[in-house]
Amino acid sequence: MAETTTSGEATNGRSSTLPEEFLEQWRDVAYNCFSSGHKFCREVCPVTQVTRDERFTPTAFHANVIAMEKGHLSIEDVAEDYVNCTMCGACELRCPNTLFTGDFYRFRQRTIDVVKAMRAFAVEQGIHQKNWQRWAELTDRWGNEPVLGWTRETSGSKVRAWAAGLDIPTGGETVLFADCEAAFKRPSVPRSVALLLRACGVEFGLMDQQWCCGGPMWETGYVDIAHKMAEHNMIDWRKTHTKRIICPDPHDYITIIEHYPPLDENFDEFEIVLAVDLIAEAIREGRLELGTPVQRTVTYHDPCRLNKRLGVWQSPREILRAIPGLTFIDVDHVTQWSYCSGAGSNLWVEKPELTAEISRRRIAKAQELPGVDGLVSACPWSERPLTEQGEAVGMDVFDIFEITAEAAGFEV
Amino acid sequence: MLGFRLSAQTPPEATRVNDVVLTRLEHIYEIDPSLMTEHVRQQQIPNWDMRRIVDSRWEHLHWMQDHFAERALSGEELLAEIEKEA
Amino acid sequence: MATAIADSVVDELVAICGEEHVFTGRSALFNRARVPAPFPAHRWDAHIPQAVVLPVSAQQVSEVVKLANARGIPVVPRAGGTGLTDGAVPLRGGILVDVKLMNQIKEIDLDNRTVTVGPGINMLKLSEELRRYGFIYPDNPASYPCSLVGGRIGTSGWSLIGGRFGHARDLVISFEIVLPTGEIIRVGDGGGPKVRKSSSGFQLKHLFMGHQGTLGIVTEATLELVKHPEAEFSMFYAFDNYMDAWRTCGELARSSVATLAGVVLFDEWKVAYLRRDDEAYIPQDDSAKAVVAAAAYGFEDELRAGAKRLLRIGQASGGKYMGDEISQGDWWSRHDRYATPQHGRTRDGQVALMSWHCEDAAIPYPELPKVREKWHAIAAGLRERFEMFDDWGMFAYTNGAFKPWGDYLTEIDIGIWESKWDEESWEAWVDAKRELARVSIEHGGSITACHGSCREGEVDLVPLEMGGGFEVMKKLKRVLDPNNIMNPGKYLLDQAYEEE
Repeated sequence: MAETTTSGEATNGRSSTLPEEFLEQWRDVAYNCFSSGHKFCREVCPVTQVTRDERFTPTAFHANVIAMEKGHLSIEDVAEDYVNCTMCGACELRCPNTLFTGDFYRFRQRTIDVVKAMRAFAVEQGIHQKNWQRWAELTDRWGNEPVLGWTRETSGSKVRAWAAGLDIPTGGETVLFADCEAAFKRPSVPRSVALLLRACGVEFGLMDQQWCCGGPMWETGYVDIAHKMAEHNMIDWRKTHTKRIICPDPHDYITIIEHYPPLDENFDEFEIVLAVDLIAEAIREGRLELGTPVQRTVTYHDPCRLNKRLGVWQSPREILRAIPGLTFIDVDHVTQWSYCSGAGSNLWVEKPELTAEISRRRIAKAQELPGVDGLVSACPWSERPLTEQGEAVGMDVFDIFEITAEAAGFEV
Repeated sequence: MLGFRLSAQTPPEATRVNDVVLTRLEHIYEIDPSLMTEHVRQQQIPNWDMRRIVDSRWEHLHWMQDHFAERALSGEELLAEIEKEA
Repeated sequence: MATAIADSVVDELVAICGEEHVFTGRSALFNRARVPAPFPAHRWDAHIPQAVVLPVSAQQVSEVVKLANARGIPVVPRAGGTGLTDGAVPLRGGILVDVKLMNQIKEIDLDNRTVTVGPGINMLKLSEELRRYGFIYPDNPASYPCSLVGGRIGTSGWSLIGGRFGHARDLVISFEIVLPTGEIIRVGDGGGPKVRKSSSGFQLKHLFMGHQGTLGIVTEATLELVKHPEAEFSMFYAFDNYMDAWRTCGELARSSVATLAGVVLFDEWKVAYLRRDDEAYIPQDDSAKAVVAAAAYGFEDELRAGAKRLLRIGQASGGKYMGDEISQGDWWSRHDRYATPQHGRTRDGQVALMSWHCEDAAIPYPELPKVREKWHAIAAGLRERFEMFDDWGMFAYTNGAFKPWGDYLTEIDIGIWESKWDEESWEAWVDAKRELARVSIEHGGSITACHGSCREGEVDLVPLEMGGGFEVMKKLKRVLDPNNIMNPGKYLLDQAYEEE
């Protein structure tokens, strides 16, 4: 039995074909991919490397838009396919349409945006992924993501607990945005950052009530909740005339710089800074001394949002090379375009086995390097599955700020 | 400047290079936007992202060279040698 | 339009491959219907399979094929689905056998200098692993970052550096293949899987090279291990006319410099096309109308000597060396410069997103200038009738393995504004394909150097090109695939089953 779409055409019993606004926004990038056929995205995609399934390739994510426009597929057919993505950005960066001509035409592939849009469309149509839906509801209720499990509340009032004993003021011109995962799940990270910033002479405070940056809400299709988070955070910043926000977690940084400006016409008041850039600069300028040797042989994991999405790969290496006693075996950042921890866009919340396998392979790559028994990352989300997989094979996983704080003589 | 400032992301005014190409950011060429008005429209790409694309391209190309050989010989150097030998 | 596959068949497939590797959902079917070649998206549903399996062993592949024979269901093998002749496009529904999960490196044998892999592995990823041992697998088509070893055998692929290292058929030593009736055999040069040259029995490896999945499904391959080169040299020369460029291209190819890997000739249309964004890199002098590029690999000492020989030819040619930045950067970007949809232009110069059709032929060197004229005339004819076709110019590449002085992989790249397809333009396109192929044959060449020739239009001329060989093709097909289940409908091989 045929049903009609918003545009009034019969769809052979398939409901929920794409509305014209969606197509207007995404048809061109979809055709740009579909018309090219390069598929260079696939072998750099961490999900494709594991699953080898064409349904979950960046290619399919674009082809589906065309197929849906022509009535061959509906959102019911593909919603679950779009879960299988960490939004690492390898595909849209490696794609020749970006890498070779994206700048010339001011037109690049935007696979991440397409996946976000499709996930949001699915949610709008009432198609939810069970765990993501629960995750969104709890984030909305508590103000922060349920990073400690479904029953341990992660409220805005508890988000500063990691800073106990550090006497950090509230608000001020510069604020440290500590991130839900780091604050609740891996507090040694924000503690390390706080101590390092102090040692560099940077004055900063913490938000009164830090809420989730909203990133995972945008990523999993719960856009209204994302907006709520963003608006709350900006009100909080303005309460104390905050001008600069320091982000240790690249997920927060990229969420804020991409998603917040369209929500606020005065966003230019704020300067958003990556902690890793700040610390590297301080070392370069002699404002931070790393005097305690760390006798380890380590390699570095380029977090996807830092390397592929933002192009930041030099600062962390500068920091690691400044740590005395450290033997640092590097793998270049372009090779790492095809590396990932599998944690991005909350993939692990819906598909824990997939994230686990992606992380297992990342750890295995580190193990191949001579003498390496430590993997340093610069993203708390990646450190969750990497630490778990590392434990199984004797590979320690550090956050870059943890190891740098150690080199600065701090005990965290 | 270390961090992200929204106002620093707007591309500067364009300088024309030829009848279909102009330039805004240093060393970055762009198509005349009037050629992308009918069938496909340009996107808003902040300056940091434009630089990321250009930098990544050269980094990828060097990676591709290294993937196939340890080093690349310079034609200009070899031509200079040929001239000397002549 | 394929009907739904019987539940009983699905049950049997699940029993063979496991539930997690059998798919009948729409997105699984629609996303395995096409390859990068221009695709009639308006008839997408005519090209989907009825079921998809992702086997993990030769045994599973064999059992699926036996089941297909028993039930008379077509089988379509699919590796990367990155070919350009529709080899992996289902024409009659059926069971699509997707080999991508079979992507393991099974053995690296340093003594015999071989690596044995599954057909689902990509060459770039393989080379990344081999680098740790100081090796590379230099089967280097434009699709190097995405095509898979199984497909390279299926199409008998060509490599940009084949003049030095050989093409797929030279780099693949032997492979395991599941025949259309389900037997698993090994083919190579003779018996031992690591023997490179034999005269024992029929040379079966060459029969299956380029079969486009019509004679079986590859389940394992043993490949050459090549030492990772110490040095690379590439040079680009610009000419103010095509004929001087063509002559220089020939001279370089005949130079007999041992480290030479390939020579590429860009005609005037191609240079004009690349100018659509070349300005993004380094603005080119207007006098650059045609270009010749050459690349070489080896130890630094032998390469310096070889490179100087090539440069001396270039300097004496009347062409201008284009500088290191272009000579190196453009060579390193050789995989990425082809299928750029944004380079499509309407008649009034507006950007339109176009897909890329690459017509490839093997053309003897002396015929290149004439073929170029005729092909561009065909493209112009299309463009005149339909704005949706755009001439993106021609390349000619040295085609011989180890001996670059023979014929040339000659390609014309046509941009196609695919969202404008209709029946009239599609028919005109298919006619043009036939005409392009006819020109190749008339000039003593082959319809295809490396893509294969089973697309609509060009396939009609395969019997003409093969002559008596086409009868042999039919006989072999009939014998090996008595029930016509292995990728049926390709290469006009249905004719093998017609009663005399």
